[in-house]
Amino acid sequence: MTTWPESQGTSTSLETVDMTINVGPQHPATHGVFRMVLTVDGELVKDCEPYIGYLHRGLEKLTENADYRQAMGWWDRTDYLAGMCCEGAYVMAVEKLAGIEVPERAEYIRVLMMELSRINSHFMFLGAFGADVGSFGTSFTYGWRERERIYDLFEEVAGDRMFPTYFKVGGVTMDLPENFETRCRDILSSIRQGLEDFDGLLTGNEVFVERCRDLNPVTPEQAIAWGFTGPMLRATGLGWDIRKAEPYSIYERLNFDIPTGKQGDVFDRYWVRLSEMYQSARIVEQCLDEMPSGRVLNPDLPKTLRIDEGELYLPTEGTKGEYGVYLMAQGGTNAYRAKLRSPSFSNLSALRELVVGNYVADAIVILGSLDIVLGEVDK
Amino acid sequence: MSTKTSPDSGNIKTAELIRTQLPNIPFEISETKTYADLKIEPENFLSLVDGLNKNDALSFDLLRNIVAIDMGEAGLWAKYHFYSFVHGHGIQVTVPAKSTDLTIPSITKTYPTANWHEREAAEMVGLKFQGHPDPRNLLLEEDLDIHPLRKAHPLQKPEILQGIEDGPPGVEQ
Repeated sequence: MTTWPESQGTSTSLETVDMTINVGPQHPATHGVFRMVLTVDGELVKDCEPYIGYLHRGLEKLTENADYRQAMGWWDRTDYLAGMCCEGAYVMAVEKLAGIEVPERAEYIRVLMMELSRINSHFMFLGAFGADVGSFGTSFTYGWRERERIYDLFEEVAGDRMFPTYFKVGGVTMDLPENFETRCRDILSSIRQGLEDFDGLLTGNEVFVERCRDLNPVTPEQAIAWGFTGPMLRATGLGWDIRKAEPYSIYERLNFDIPTGKQGDVFDRYWVRLSEMYQSARIVEQCLDEMPSGRVLNPDLPKTLRIDEGELYLPTEGTKGEYGVYLMAQGGTNAYRAKLRSPSFSNLSALRELVVGNYVADAIVILGSLDIVLGEVDK
Repeated sequence: MSTKTSPDSGNIKTAELIRTQLPNIPFEISETKTYADLKIEPENFLSLVDGLNKNDALSFDLLRNIVAIDMGEAGLWAKYHFYSFVHGHGIQVTVPAKSTDLTIPSITKTYPTANWHEREAAEMVGLKFQGHPDPRNLLLEEDLDIHPLRKAHPLQKPEILQGIEDGPPGVEQ
C-alpha cells in the first residue's frame, strides 16, 4: 500500500504551479503554421515564446538565383492574401532599379488591383478575427462571400485567383477584359453591402465591442519602438500611410483618407481595417473613372533584362504595413541580393510584450488582431 | 508614360543634414536609387545610431529593416533602413564587417524591433551581433549551423540538412 510522505500529505494551503501550453504550429487560432509556447499561471499568461520559420521557403535565395522576371512568381506567395500588392512592390523595385517606365493605363490597373487585394485581405481578417472573438462561422461566411467575388474577378482578368502573376516589369501582362468596368462596379457595390453587414454583425454587437475595447492598448511610442506599421500603427492614432507619406505609382493623384484609431487597443485595430476598406473602394472607383486608354505594357523592353550596379530599398504600403523590397544589382540577369521587409514579421516580433499579463483567451484575440500572414513572416 | 516611383533622390539632403548635425562621426555618403547611403565602420556605428536616434533635428525613430549581404572578399555587410516620423525622412546605413571579424554591435537597446531583424541577419549570412540579448536561430532550425544566404551556400542540394560546412564569404564550393 502506498504511504504518502508527511510533508505532502498534511499540506493545507493550495498552491498553483505554472503550466506550459503549446499552441500550434497546426492550430486554427494561429492563422497558419505559427507556434507559441505560453507559460500560464491559472488563466494569466506569464510568458510567451513565439516560434516562426515553419513556412520558410528561402524566397530571397530563390530570387537571387532566378532572372528578375522569373523571380516574380515567388513574391506573390509571401502575403498570399493579397498577391497583387506583393507583385506590385517587387515589380516597382525592379523598374526603379532598371529605369523602366510604365504606361499610364498600367499604373491605373495596378493600383486598382492592389486596392482590390487590400479589400480581399482585410475581408479575410474580418472573417477570421470575428471567429477568434467568438462569432464562429458567421463572420467567415460573410467574408468569404465577398472574397469569392473578388477572386472570380481576378481569375477573369489574370487567369488565376490567389497567385495571379499579373504584373510584369514594364506594365501588366494583358489588358482588362471587355466587361470589366461593369463587373467591377457591381462588385464594389456588393463589397460596400458586405462592409455594412460586417458593421452590423461585429460593430453592432455589444459582446464583440465589450470584448475588444480597452483590450491591450498600445501607445504610438511603443508601436514605433516595436516596429509596427500599417493598421497596427494607425490604430494608435498616428496617421502614417506610405501611400501618402512617400507616395508611389499614382497614389498622389487619388483622394482617400487615412483612418486612425484612438488608443491602439484591439477594437481600434479592427476599426481601422474596416474603415480602410471603404477608402480602398473609393480608390478603386476613382481608378475606374479616370482610367486612360492606351498600352498596358512598355513596348521598348529589352529581351533580356540586365541591370547595372545599383541598389535600392523601396517601401510600399502592403495590407499589413510597410512591405519593403531591397534589391542590389551587380550587372547580370539576377539580383545579387533581394530582401523582403515584411510587415507581419515586425508586428509579430512584439507578441511577447503584447500578450504577457493578459488572459489566455485574450492572447488568442490579440494574436488575431495582429493580422499576420505566415507566408510573409517566414519568407 | 509615368516615371513617378517615389521616393526621390532629394534624400541626399538628409545625408548632408546628418553630416552637419553629427560632424565628429566619420562616414561616407553615396546615393542609391531611393535613399542616401551612409557607410560607416562597425566601431563607429553605435555612436552614429545614438546620434540618429537622439538628435532632435534628425530623430530617426523607426528602424524599418536590416539587410545582411555576403559581399565576397569585402566581407559581410549589414544595411539598415531608418525613418523619422517627425521629419518624414529616411536613410540607409551600411556597416561593412571584414571577413576576419564578422562582428557588428547590436542596436537592440536603442531600437527594440532590431531583435528579430538581427537574429535573421545573423543566421542567414553568419554575422555576429555583439550584445544581442537572444542570439538564437529564428527562421532556421535552432541547432542548424548553416548560413544559406552566403554566396558559397548551394541552392537545392539535399546534403544541406546533413550539414555542409560553410566556407569563407564569397567562395564557390
